[in-house]
Amino acid sequence: MIEVKELNKLYSEGRGIRNLNFQVDFGKAFGFLGPNGAGKTTTIRLLMGFLKPDSGRVTINELDCWREKAEVKKIVSYLPGELHFMESLTALDFLDLIARMHGNKRQIKRNRDYLASVLELDLKILIGKMSKGMKQKLGIIAALMLDKRVLILDEPTSGLDPLMQKVFIDLILEEKKRGKTLFMSSHQFVEIDRTCEHVGIIREGELLTIQSISQLRDAEHQTFEIEVENEEELEFLKQRQLNLFNIQGKSCIIRITGEMDKLWLALTQVHVISFRQRSLDLEEAFMDFYR
Amino acid sequence: MNRALFRAMFKQQRKKIAAISTGIFLYEGLLTWVYPVVAKNPAVVQVAESIPSAVKTVFGVPENARTDTFEAFISGQFFSRIWVMLMAFHGIQTANALLAKMIDDCSLALLLSTPVSRGEILSTQAGVLVGSGAVLVAVTIGGLFFGTSRFGITIDHGNYIRLGILGLALFTLIELYSLFFSAWLVEGERAVTYAAGLTLLFYSLDIVGGLSDKYSWLRNLSLFRWFQPQSILEGTTNPAGSIIGLNAFSAVLWYYAKRVFERQDLAI
Repeated sequence: MIEVKELNKLYSEGRGIRNLNFQVDFGKAFGFLGPNGAGKTTTIRLLMGFLKPDSGRVTINELDCWREKAEVKKIVSYLPGELHFMESLTALDFLDLIARMHGNKRQIKRNRDYLASVLELDLKILIGKMSKGMKQKLGIIAALMLDKRVLILDEPTSGLDPLMQKVFIDLILEEKKRGKTLFMSSHQFVEIDRTCEHVGIIREGELLTIQSISQLRDAEHQTFEIEVENEEELEFLKQRQLNLFNIQGKSCIIRITGEMDKLWLALTQVHVISFRQRSLDLEEAFMDFYR
Repeated sequence: MNRALFRAMFKQQRKKIAAISTGIFLYEGLLTWVYPVVAKNPAVVQVAESIPSAVKTVFGVPENARTDTFEAFISGQFFSRIWVMLMAFHGIQTANALLAKMIDDCSLALLLSTPVSRGEILSTQAGVLVGSGAVLVAVTIGGLFFGTSRFGITIDHGNYIRLGILGLALFTLIELYSLFFSAWLVEGERAVTYAAGLTLLFYSLDIVGGLSDKYSWLRNLSLFRWFQPQSILEGTTNPAGSIIGLNAFSAVLWYYAKRVFERQDLAI
């Protein structure tokens, strides 16, 4: 469905992407992870036909994304990473404009109303008066209401509160059930983990690896901040062959890969004062690729 | 041209067009109200005739032109300089807002993610640009018809309509080279600098060329030499040739603007 072959695009200052190769099959979801400036947005701009490749080929449904850009957009919905709207329009006017530019099918309006109610967005508000989070919701509605076969989403949950991030993930799962093909860039491992089958990791314009989420999960680190009653107990934990680091007085950080049994067994034999799981962010999950 | 986009974009421009139209209408009202008083005072005509021709050129009054007619008055006070600058400023600023600024702030991304082609989006933006210019020209000519009829000034309406058509052709050309710079440079600040710089260059060539016979050839390099309002309003010049020439340049610019925009890398 989406095919990227030996794709190169370099900017004058040397940034860009080099020799990118991947494909996303019909009905599958592909997560695209990487730090800022890694080349995620450049790849998406090439998929959307905003940029012309220096060399290589990028196609969606066998349509060339540069030469047949208008045709490609008949099957693609897009959510940009940097959301800017026409500020003097209301959300409703803007969505009407997008719907009309897509052929104004009645189903689009039904989808729009459903999404607005799920995301709790008042469409009568002037866009210029909306917060970043509200604009993000508007962008999500604009992308999902169109009911296209392919969704290209650039950091879709940026600016959303945790509750709305969860709502968004549920919406994406609904879309997947309906057979949509998804390409999503993100900094948030959680949303990729919940929605995608495969993940590609990009750094400094080069694709480091493509792995299935299940493979990654096996190699996944989980990190905990733990405080025990005294230093002797901390010494005891060390002797249990746990991966302890950043030891400060009675507290430390423990990183676990794979099974958790060893940690639970050790913790039953000490007095735990505090126990906190660190959120599994991008750097945590893909530390090995970043080193 | 995409009708939905045209409506939305025109809606964005509505307030600005209304404000400029009101300004033009009030200024024309003031001039037509004052003119009967000025015309009755022979001293005013004597003063106007005593002004050196170089100074008259600065105000857009042709050499040896009459100074005792309403056409001379309205050309000197409005059409030759103020109107031209106002419309040029509007054209440059609007072209920039409709394209380069939307690329700068990435708001074009959502529009370009629809199945509407780049060419059609650019045609729509050009339509809004030329359309807003046409509204302002219509308000200008209509406002003058209203003012002259209200204060009993006799004019040849046909000549004013011809001036309006010539003005529209001139402003369309300015708007289209501004749009071309936006499509080519895809950066608001540079696009506006190039468009304003070129317009000021044309304007300066027109003024400097009129100051002395030695430099009169410079006027031939300026766009504004095609726009001589007083002689058109007095019916001594037929603007048809100028209108065709300006439109021909506009057509060439439009072709290149579209070609450049369709092939341009857009980091949006």
